[in-house]
Amino acid sequence: MTEAIVELRKATKKYAGVPAIEDIDFTLLRGEIHTLVGENGAGKSTLTKVMAGVVPLTSGQMYIEGREVRPETPVHALQLGIAMVFQETSLVPTMTVAQNLFLGQERFFNRLRGIYIAAQQFLQSLQFDVDPTATVSLLGAAKKQMVEIARAVLHKAKVIIFDEPTASLTPEEKKYFFDLIFNLKARGVSVIFISHALEEALLVSDRITVLRDAKLVVTDRKENFDRARIVQAMVGRDLSQTLYGQRKTSMRPAGKRVLSIENLRMAAMVKNNSLSVFAGQITGVFGLVGSGRTETFKVAAGVIKRDIMYGGEVLLHDKPVRYLVPAPAVRDGIVYVTEDRKVEGFFETKSIADNIYLGFLAKLRGGRKLVSKREASQVGEQFIKRLNIRAISKDVKAIELSGGNQQKLVIAKSLVQEPEVIIFDEPTRGVDVNAITEIHQLINQLADEGKAVVVISSYLPEVMALSDRILVCRMGKVVEEFSALEATEEKIMYAAIH
Amino acid sequence: MIAALRNWTDQLLGRGAAAITVPMFDGALKPNQILEQAETFAELEDPEDLATDGTSLFVADGATVLRYDGDVVTTVAQLDERITGLAVLPHGGLALALGGTELRVVGGPRDGRTWTSVAGNRLNAANAIHATADGRLLVTDGSQTQPCDRWCHDLMSLGRSGRLIELNLTDGRAREIASGLAYAFGTAAAGKNIWVCESWAHRVVAYGEGTGPTPIVSRLPCYPSRLSPAADGGYWLTAFTCRTQLVEFVLRQSAYRTRMMKEIDPRYWIAPALTSGNTFLEPLQGAHLKMRGIHKPWAPPRSYGLVMRLSPNGLIQYSLHSRVDGKNHGVVAAVECQGTLFVLAKGRQRILKLTVAELGRGLLS
Repeated sequence: MTEAIVELRKATKKYAGVPAIEDIDFTLLRGEIHTLVGENGAGKSTLTKVMAGVVPLTSGQMYIEGREVRPETPVHALQLGIAMVFQETSLVPTMTVAQNLFLGQERFFNRLRGIYIAAQQFLQSLQFDVDPTATVSLLGAAKKQMVEIARAVLHKAKVIIFDEPTASLTPEEKKYFFDLIFNLKARGVSVIFISHALEEALLVSDRITVLRDAKLVVTDRKENFDRARIVQAMVGRDLSQTLYGQRKTSMRPAGKRVLSIENLRMAAMVKNNSLSVFAGQITGVFGLVGSGRTETFKVAAGVIKRDIMYGGEVLLHDKPVRYLVPAPAVRDGIVYVTEDRKVEGFFETKSIADNIYLGFLAKLRGGRKLVSKREASQVGEQFIKRLNIRAISKDVKAIELSGGNQQKLVIAKSLVQEPEVIIFDEPTRGVDVNAITEIHQLINQLADEGKAVVVISSYLPEVMALSDRILVCRMGKVVEEFSALEATEEKIMYAAIH
Repeated sequence: MIAALRNWTDQLLGRGAAAITVPMFDGALKPNQILEQAETFAELEDPEDLATDGTSLFVADGATVLRYDGDVVTTVAQLDERITGLAVLPHGGLALALGGTELRVVGGPRDGRTWTSVAGNRLNAANAIHATADGRLLVTDGSQTQPCDRWCHDLMSLGRSGRLIELNLTDGRAREIASGLAYAFGTAAAGKNIWVCESWAHRVVAYGEGTGPTPIVSRLPCYPSRLSPAADGGYWLTAFTCRTQLVEFVLRQSAYRTRMMKEIDPRYWIAPALTSGNTFLEPLQGAHLKMRGIHKPWAPPRSYGLVMRLSPNGLIQYSLHSRVDGKNHGVVAAVECQGTLFVLAKGRQRILKLTVAELGRGLLS
């Protein structure tokens, strides 16, 4: 295990003269699990993209098994034995799982049945419960991730790089994923694992590398790290006490019931679900993927529709409402802050100010016939300041922001609508620790102002740190409710699974 | 025509009035077993209502009014008819509803004053009395068509004939404040307003001088009963059973309901009850499901026990439950006396005793 499989020497990659990584000396050993941690923009993704041939180095050298290489494309990197599983899956959504697995390896004549049988056998060998004939677009995030991993293993990669692999996985699925990683390690495959979840890094890694501001801060064995040391290395200050570490000692009393959902049904996902959301409180919603938590609140916010017949009721201030699209819900004061910000959260080629202003316009009945540039600029500036969105100017395009700032932008776009009920779905997924603290402060502030806040999260420490009351969903309905003071991770998880 | 069409589509699609949804017991209404585990203070033959003068507890038991000073019980009044409502008057004496059809003052400076009709209509199901400090009696007359003990018939016939009545103790004048209520059961003065419970509408509404009904608590998952003031502001609201989707469904099926009422013994109707589990012929309330290692009843409950603590503006602060697998069901009255909450579980003919300070500490965190 001491033999180096990948080495980078003085590796530097610059975008328009600005270094994304600078003078990095990095070594990956054979059969080790190596975790990269760092704030958004620290250079983790760039470092791995260099290894996977997505971007070339500006200067420095890269060695695979002692031989200097310069992978120019991902295909080239794969030939060299390096595969990367991206945060946003690179699967073809209209193809089946089997077709995606064998994409690029097709023969001149292909027998579809043969491909399915081979894919079935291969997936079973990995103990992945994925139907090879299923179309990828119909799979959930976790299953897509499984197909990505399977594809990398199929290509006999010596090094597999995972970029935030657990972000969309439930705790149960994470356990399968970690088992798989250990399995890969046992086969001599080296794994690079990018994660914001420090507990995961400490759990699965052999070694941990911390990056900050494009530089490598420290690489060490995991035994020599604890949570506080990692966080301090990541941000240069101690944030461990302000993040998930603190346990709630008091909770906000419930105000008026603002939103209630009664016997809601939505296809196979939501089954006779009932719950209430109160003003001046944070209602945390926890559940495994497929528990119907996101779908329930998407129905409430008009993002998706409930069943046509006997679909139950959504009540705002005890009056039944039925939203077929989000606009009327927004006008009534219900906003949904999406879990998938890149697809549903913003217009990536529009500026920060424009995105926020679009949120503002969405609140107005019939929109505006004439759009004021000055108003857009004022609204944009106001919310950039309020949410501390870090960008060179308000005219920066959304796509150019880091994950944390993109998330703040999505939140700003919702807050500009002056909502009464704010539903945050995975508010800190793929966000760095600094931004997590800021987003949590904002969520708490909204509840203190008397808003009804819902936080849907798969991350238990987050649910427990934020919520005044915690609802646990399983199989399409709320099965348990805990107050913040009585909840423990064990109780919540038990309710979510059993 | 449009209304009829909408009604038809609602029936078809299960929307609007045909949605058959029931609110959930969550938030401040999250179930617990406090009422079930409460100490039994007394077990009586036929208890109906509670009242207090601030130092003693008064209980209407059949045709008798009992007074409890600690453990010492004395009979303070013996009437010739069953008492259906009781209030202690601020200047001495008791106000009693007898058989639901008569209101009578017993003892005190207005002894012997009676009322049998208000606004041209006879009292039919007077079930709760609240005496105000300025010498008025607020009375709820549950139904104009069914007597007190046939409240379930009123529910199943979708009764809306309840009244809120004000009686003046000084000059005997009487007036109807509201009528057409979906079973009026329980009232209390709240500043310049009067709160009244509408059981079949699952709500508490306020009536002010010249103002119509304003909802204070609405869409309750239960059928509310009597209201009484709490010592440090706010109110105790009781509920004699909880709502279920099954009963809501039955209430929307007129043909089924009519036939059930005609052919089935009322004890076995698919309807709420004050107590259950007495015979296997009763519908439901028996099944359970194992969750988190414990058996949980899942079948639609027939009876339930619930007391809610309301803030002065009607916010539910916490609640006390006797769940579907418990016994202290059919709660119709709760009064606070010297730091102790006395709860009448009529389903078990029991008076329960709880310490208010402990409840506050445990549930108001």
